[in-house]
Amino acid sequence: MLDWQIMTHYFPFLLKGALITLEISVISLVLGLLAGLLAALWILSTNPLLHWSGRFYVWIVRSTPLLVQLFIIYFGLPQFGINLNPFWSGVLALALNTGAYNAETIRGGILAVPKGQREAARSLGMSKALTMRRIILPQAMGLIIPPLGNNFVILIKDTSLVSTITLVELTLTAQRLIGSTYKPFEMYLMAAVLYAILTTGASLLLRQVERRTVWGHA
Amino acid sequence: MNDSKSRPIPEEPMIRLHNLEKSFGKNKVLKGINLEVARSEVLVLIGPSGSGKSTLLRCVNNLETPTGGEVTVDGERVNRTDLSARAFQKHINRVRTHMGMVFQHFNLFPHKTVLENILEAPTQVLDRNAAELTVEAMLLLDKVGLAEKRDSYPAQLSGGQQQRVAIARALAMRPSVMLFDEVTSALDPELVGEVLRVMEDLAAEGMTMIVVTHEMGFAERVADRVVFMAQGQIVEEGVPKEIFSNPREERTKRFLADVLK
Repeated sequence: MLDWQIMTHYFPFLLKGALITLEISVISLVLGLLAGLLAALWILSTNPLLHWSGRFYVWIVRSTPLLVQLFIIYFGLPQFGINLNPFWSGVLALALNTGAYNAETIRGGILAVPKGQREAARSLGMSKALTMRRIILPQAMGLIIPPLGNNFVILIKDTSLVSTITLVELTLTAQRLIGSTYKPFEMYLMAAVLYAILTTGASLLLRQVERRTVWGHA
Repeated sequence: MNDSKSRPIPEEPMIRLHNLEKSFGKNKVLKGINLEVARSEVLVLIGPSGSGKSTLLRCVNNLETPTGGEVTVDGERVNRTDLSARAFQKHINRVRTHMGMVFQHFNLFPHKTVLENILEAPTQVLDRNAAELTVEAMLLLDKVGLAEKRDSYPAQLSGGQQQRVAIARALAMRPSVMLFDEVTSALDPELVGEVLRVMEDLAAEGMTMIVVTHEMGFAERVADRVVFMAQGQIVEEGVPKEIFSNPREERTKRFLADVLK
């Protein structure tokens, strides 16, 4: 049977770990969104250097494990004098990783906007950049947000890998508490519930944003 | 209506196409088109689908880049080849502000209201006072009979209403040329008339227009000149009466027999 007393006693510690997980998720999410947008625009660029740089970034990230990327940044970079603490190593790895997936999502959304929209804007004398910012991206948002939400959920779950480089987030907190309580089921169960709350919260939040990108059906 | 336009035609044509060529890969869509459109002239382009008339229209504002020949609008070369990519973008953006285009599928911006659709390009591209532009936009909406729809979204309008907004949106840039690309082809038959009426008014005001259409009635009533195209070439051109009642070319006769039966 579940040891409820142990659970209520240690819950605040796990909650604190969950807050670190939330923090690293939010920062990585914002940076990953910027990286994704930038990479998507590069890939769609007619400039071959930008196009291939974007393609290379997405390819290298998607064809290697996140854990290895994380280790390269945390254990490998110090060899070149770049020392990042566990938190920022985690943010960098997660942001670059989710950024590559976001890039594909955003690129797909941009390409799905009917080409007549671009033509109409360009025929009115709007520049390429203005057309992208004012006409294409706002419409692509409606198509991008649902799959982007999927990437966000994956990102939140992937933050657990950062426990391997000693960042005391939710997973590592649970592991440490097991060391002193010998209650793995209770501790991991509580961690799982907290992850579920974080990911579900993110999904619900995004659904609200999604609702605001539907026009003319008010 | 044609009578009101029998003013002397100025020397310099508003639009001049010289030896215009366009290929998509190996497919030659335009095979050396020579055509001039005078100021205030309404030119109607007819022809079977695939004849290149839409491509011709899209070459005028460089939505399609010609693979050969010259496009000149209001004395200015459109498809300049002497510029760097960046300089050409600047050039083409400026040139396009003088030309309005209306599309078969309206292409209104779905995330913007009717008024926002009209104000978008003028406020973002032209250096003009926003309040003044709003007044002007409302006059244009009034002109196309949709002033009360200013705050509606495109999805809330019928096809005919959307197309009239699209015309107002193009006019808001104060273009000297208007290009119409099969603008009634996607409309339910009962909505075609309201759009053609707006175009007829515009023609009466002296707008220079190239109209690609299958509406032969409109061509007969409004065109100063009708051009019949087939397989990337101009087969025959003349005043509507001549083309419709007494076509010279066999291909024109066949085409007219097909669409008018």
